[in-house]
Order: sequence, then C-alpha cells, then structure tokens
Amino acid sequence: MTATTRTALQIRIEAFTFHGEDTPVLTDTALSVTPGSLTAVLGGSGSGKSTLGKLLAGWLRAGHAGQFRGSLELGGTVLEFRGVPDDPRINPAEWSRRVAFVPQDAAAMLSSVRATVAEELAFGLENRATAREDMLRAVERTAARTGLSRLLDRDPATLSGGELRRLAVGCAVITEPDVLILDEPLASLDAAGAAQVEDLVRSLRGTGTGVVLLSQAADRFAGEATHWTILDAQTALDGGTVTAAGTPAQLAGSAELERAGVIGPHGPGGIGSGAVGSAGSGVAAGGRRPGPVPAAAPGPAPASLELRGVGFGYARDPRLPGTGAQDRVLRDVDFAVRPGEIIAVTGPNGAGKSTLLRHFNGLLRPTEGDVLVCGRSIAGVPVGKVAASMGLLFQHPRDQLFERTVLREAAFGLRQLFGKAGAEARSRAALAEVGLSGTEEAHPAELSASQQRLLALATVLAREPAVLALDEPTVGLDRHGLEALQGAVGRAAARGAAVAMVTHDLEYARRNAHRVLELSGGSLRDI
Amino acid sequence: MTPRLHPFTTLTLAACAAGVTTAAAYWPLSVAVALAAVALAARRGVAGRVLTAGAVILTPLCLSLLVLHGLFFPEGQTVLAQWGPARVTAEGLGFALELGTRTTACVLVFLLFSFTVSVPDLVSALAGRRIPPQFGFVLASTLTLLPAVAGRLDRIRQAQETRGMVVGRGLLSRLGALRLQMVPLVLALIDDAGSRAQALDARGFGSPGPRTSYREVADPPAQRLFRAAVLVLAAAAVARRIVASWPAGVPS
Repeated sequence: MTATTRTALQIRIEAFTFHGEDTPVLTDTALSVTPGSLTAVLGGSGSGKSTLGKLLAGWLRAGHAGQFRGSLELGGTVLEFRGVPDDPRINPAEWSRRVAFVPQDAAAMLSSVRATVAEELAFGLENRATAREDMLRAVERTAARTGLSRLLDRDPATLSGGELRRLAVGCAVITEPDVLILDEPLASLDAAGAAQVEDLVRSLRGTGTGVVLLSQAADRFAGEATHWTILDAQTALDGGTVTAAGTPAQLAGSAELERAGVIGPHGPGGIGSGAVGSAGSGVAAGGRRPGPVPAAAPGPAPASLELRGVGFGYARDPRLPGTGAQDRVLRDVDFAVRPGEIIAVTGPNGAGKSTLLRHFNGLLRPTEGDVLVCGRSIAGVPVGKVAASMGLLFQHPRDQLFERTVLREAAFGLRQLFGKAGAEARSRAALAEVGLSGTEEAHPAELSASQQRLLALATVLAREPAVLALDEPTVGLDRHGLEALQGAVGRAAARGAAVAMVTHDLEYARRNAHRVLELSGGSLRDI
Repeated sequence: MTPRLHPFTTLTLAACAAGVTTAAAYWPLSVAVALAAVALAARRGVAGRVLTAGAVILTPLCLSLLVLHGLFFPEGQTVLAQWGPARVTAEGLGFALELGTRTTACVLVFLLFSFTVSVPDLVSALAGRRIPPQFGFVLASTLTLLPAVAGRLDRIRQAQETRGMVVGRGLLSRLGALRLQMVPLVLALIDDAGSRAQALDARGFGSPGPRTSYREVADPPAQRLFRAAVLVLAAAAVARRIVASWPAGVPS
C-alpha cells in the first residue's frame, strides 16, 4: 500500500448506541478501505462486527437506527455526526450504489418476490429506473462474474447455500460499488462453495473493488487480507472496540486475537487442542494420531443408537412428471453408536446429513429399515417421547428458544423428569457446563449468536440423554463457544452418552471423533 | 401450447364474468359460470385447490344464506313447513338458491384467476401501469408469506418436539404448544422483516421516482382489443339488464 493510494471509504466511530439502549455497541473504532484491498475485521460473537458493517454500508443510519458520534468519508466527501437531530442524513439507496453489504443470512438480501435469479439480480436496477437494455447487459455481466449464468432461470428459493450466497453478492455488486462488505461469507459453506466465494472476491478485487470481510475466523481467506482489525469487548457489558490493527503477519497468533475469541487459521478443527481428552473423558488417552483425536473407542457395549438398513426418499412433487417416484437420499444405511463413543458424519452441502440426523429421533421416518434408541425401535413413538433418551441440537437456535429467561429455557420440561429442585439444579449445571453461568436471568434473545447456540445445547444436555445428536455444531460459534462445546461434548461422552454429529468440517470431525463416516450417494462409509 | 394470456386479460375476463353473473341474477347462468370455472380449473390442473378453497369460503356462506332466507323470508307466500316463527317458503328457498349460486360463481371465478395467474407477471404488469411498486410487493408477498410462515412454524415445532414437547391430540394440548411456538415465530418474523427492510432500502426499493421492469410480459394488440371488446359487451349486458328491470310504471 503506497501513501498515494486514495481511500475509498473511511469510518471513525466515537460511539454508536442503538435507540433504547444505554451502552454503546461500538466505541473508538476506525477503519479505512482502499480500492482493490481486502480488509478483515475479526472478532468473536457479539463484538459488533455486523454493526460496523451495517454502519459502513448505510444499513444502519445515524439518527434512524441509533445515536452515532463520529464520521464517515466516502470518495473524498466527509460526513460528521455529532448525535444531534441536524446531523447529515444518508440516502441508503444512493449510498449502497457505492458501498454494498451482504448480510450473514444471504436470504435476507433477496426481495423474495422475484421469480427467477435474473429478475432478483435486476431488482436493484429496476428501482433505479435503469433502461432495460442496460439491465440485460448488467445481469449477464454480473451472472458471469458470480458464476450464476447457468442458473438465471432458476427460482431463487431452490438454490443451495453456496449459490444463494453468490446470488446475494451478485445483487450487491450489480451496481458496481467501490466497496463491498461481506458478513461471514463462508459460514456453513462446504469447501466447494467457499472456494467459489473466495474466487469471486479475488476477481472483484482485481477490478478495483475494495472488500471488507467481517469474520470470527482468522482462516486462510482472512489470511489473504491486506489489513486486519481486531474488534473485542473489554468486559461482557461493554460494546466492541478496536484492540489491535495491522497486517496479518503482525497479528497472527497475537494475544489480542486470542482474547477476542477469533478462531485460528486451522478452523474449528484447530481449536482447544485436546479438549475432548482434557475434559476427562479418558477416551483421548494413548492417541494413535497426533492431535486430540480420542483414539480408543469404548468396548462392545450394546449400541445406544442403531440404524438397521435404513432407506429414505423425499416424495417428489406429484405435479412433476414421474409421479410416485422418490429421490433417494438414504440407501440401506447401517449405523451404530455405543455409550461413550463420538461419531462424526461428514459430506458436502446437500448430501443428506441433516436428513440422516432427523431419523435419529423420528422427525423423519424411514421408508425401509428401523431405528433403535437404547435397544428399542422408535417406530410409532412420538418425537417428544423419544426425546427422553435422544437430545438433538439443530443448526438454528432461534427456532428452539422460547422462554423469558435463560434459566427457564434450560429448565423447560425438566420438572416432569426430575422434580422441582432437581430441575433447577440440573439446568444450572447444564448452563455451567457450556459456560453460561451468570446469564441465568437474561432474556435468551439478548445473548450473542454464539451464546444462543450454547444455550440450545444446554437445554439438550440438561435432560441427560443417552444419545446426543448434533447438527453442524461448529457453525456460528466463536473460539470461546467452540471450547465450551468441545468441553461439554467430551464430558457427556465421558459420562457414557453416545454422541453422533454431522458436520461439513472434515478437519473438525477428524480431531474430535472416534470414527468419521462420509455420507455420499445415500450410503455411509468410513474415512 | 397456447399462447400465454396477459394477466390483465384473465383479470378482465374474471371481473366481467362476475359482473355479468351478478347483474343477470339468473341462477341457471350462475350455475353455468360456476361449472365453467371448475372445468377450466380442471384443465389447468388446479381443480383440487380451487374446490378446496371454494368449499372453505362457500360452505359457511351458503349455509347462512339457507338459514337466513330459507327460514325467515317475510315476502314468502308458499309455505312448505312451519315451526313457530320459522317458515320454510318456496320463495325464500328460491332466493337463497339465487344468491348462493351467484356468490358461488363469483368466488370460483376469482379463485380460478388467483390460482392460475402468474404472480410475477401480474406484479410486472402492474408496475408497467405506474401502479406504486409497493402495491405489487404487498400483493406478491401475501402469496409468498403464508408458505414461509408455515415452513418456519414447522421447523419450530420440530425443534421443540426434539426438546421433549409432546403435542397431544386434544385442543388444550395443541393450544399450549401453539403458545410456545408463537414466541420464536413472532421474534423471527420481526427480525426477518427488519433485515429485509434494510436490504430493500439499500436496493432502492423505497426511493420515489420512475422504475423499469426486467421481466417483459407480452401484451399483443389482439389481447388489448379483446379486453376492450369484453369490457364493452359486459357493460352493455349490465346496462341492458338494469334498463329491463327498471320498474315500468315509474311516473315520470
């Protein structure tokens, strides 16, 4: 970076406070973006990364969303904000022409009322009254750039996670902005999907777009950045602030990065070396491979969970040709997990991992074969009853949480099982297990995304099920969250729980499970 | 394959059929229109959905017409049966039949339209006529919102059953479960709406001024002419009907 490089976008935040809140979510933060650069803003869950991104992009506006003291500079024009009513106002439509933002939930970017990918891409241009010929050209150009050319006639609702992310980026860059801000662009994408997004970012940078990456992982992609800024909250009650800034070489392995809860370069798999073993499970002792792989699987006890010849297919839309046919997702799957054993199932996005997991407690019923929990078939048993021995953690905690306080959430349904005193003791213990002690009286919605997942895990652990089934447990967790997860899973296995998890993260699976299976073509095989 | 009809053409046809049927007030015509709507629905493969939705709307409506006019019709002369103040009269039944078939015809015709029209085409056609885009957006999202809410409720139910919630068959059990599902549902919908609004703003949806449309909906001159003709004919039929039923002996 030379001194003559023109700054495309610059922000200086003294404080930003949401309306109705007392403490600012961001203080003393500054960031500048130059054309063609990649700037990574790294921080744990709840550090204010998304707020920073939305402030940069005009999604959160001073006065409108909260009180902002500081300044924004775009293309040489400086806007000063003093947190008073006559502060300058940003027109979000005009601003986003120059500074585009893609949220963590890519689907939130879409209008949801356009029938095809091409029309969704064109939506922003239609609203700006772009001539149709120009629109056709822009859609074609953007589709080629984002690798969507073959998908232009598809319904956006049918896209895979990776395709959806590229469409959201396409919608953001079709107006050729100077700066593109990406919030956790690789979250829950498999290796192929991540590579596509990374290639797209490289090509955008090649044409002069300055890119800002908001991420809780200092991974390979963040390693390509020209500059890192670390956001962290000083105490649990404070908002985020910049604790360090510099090149990746200066900051990799720094204490600030560690303290912020940022996941290291090896991804979730590289976290908490030996976490399972050190949790006292004993299974990691005498590891045959380097790393914390728990080597010795437990002895030949009867399986806690067993699938016998399970086959399953989703019924096809009867209006389509080939009525009655089914798309086979699982074929003749045999699978068993014994007490104390940790098994991971991996595979790319769309391989049917979540479908397999949903068979464990009867949310989906096999078309062939049988599922046995603790030696008994669950055919015909309601899901709520199977839940007494089977705890299943979903990917989206928001769907699972419904109580007023964290403690009530963890204690839900325990009274029938353990009595009043037992219920409270167990729910407090489960909260401590995942590192949420001290948040008992908070509202679940006030917790950071990472903490919400841990709370969902605590609600499962509190029931002390014989089998723990985890759907993509690492997604959305920061480093602190991952450590809590690994500790809790390791201790549950040590107590004799059978653990089955599905994850797209092969490295994580290798380091944390006794056995790793791959689901492909509807069948499981050891890898 | 037949050439696609412009959404305004089908809308005009539906509105004219409903208008003429209402004005005619002649039950054989109403029955014929209703049957035609069902036959067309069957041809387009939506008969099941049209009839189901029709039954949900029309059953309570027709039953109430029957009770109201079949039993209590003051002008009725031919009494078929009597229980105290309630009299079943031939005139009352005739009136209920008239009103019932007319409403059935109109409801089926509009259901046929809404289940067969391509919503993106309709939204795009409306935008082309300088109708505020917000109107088209609301129209389109009412049709996409319901499946989205149903899908989310299903995910919430699954997650909660997984936490040991057993939903029984009883009404109380179902209501109890519904209460627990509403909290995450409403929170999620508010959250979705908030981020969607920010995204729409950023994509220029809220800005005033003219707009263009990427989707082109063909509107051949023949269809425009056809629409005009249908409108004129329907207006003429309605006018003729009004003139014909104008009380002849009104003093001038």
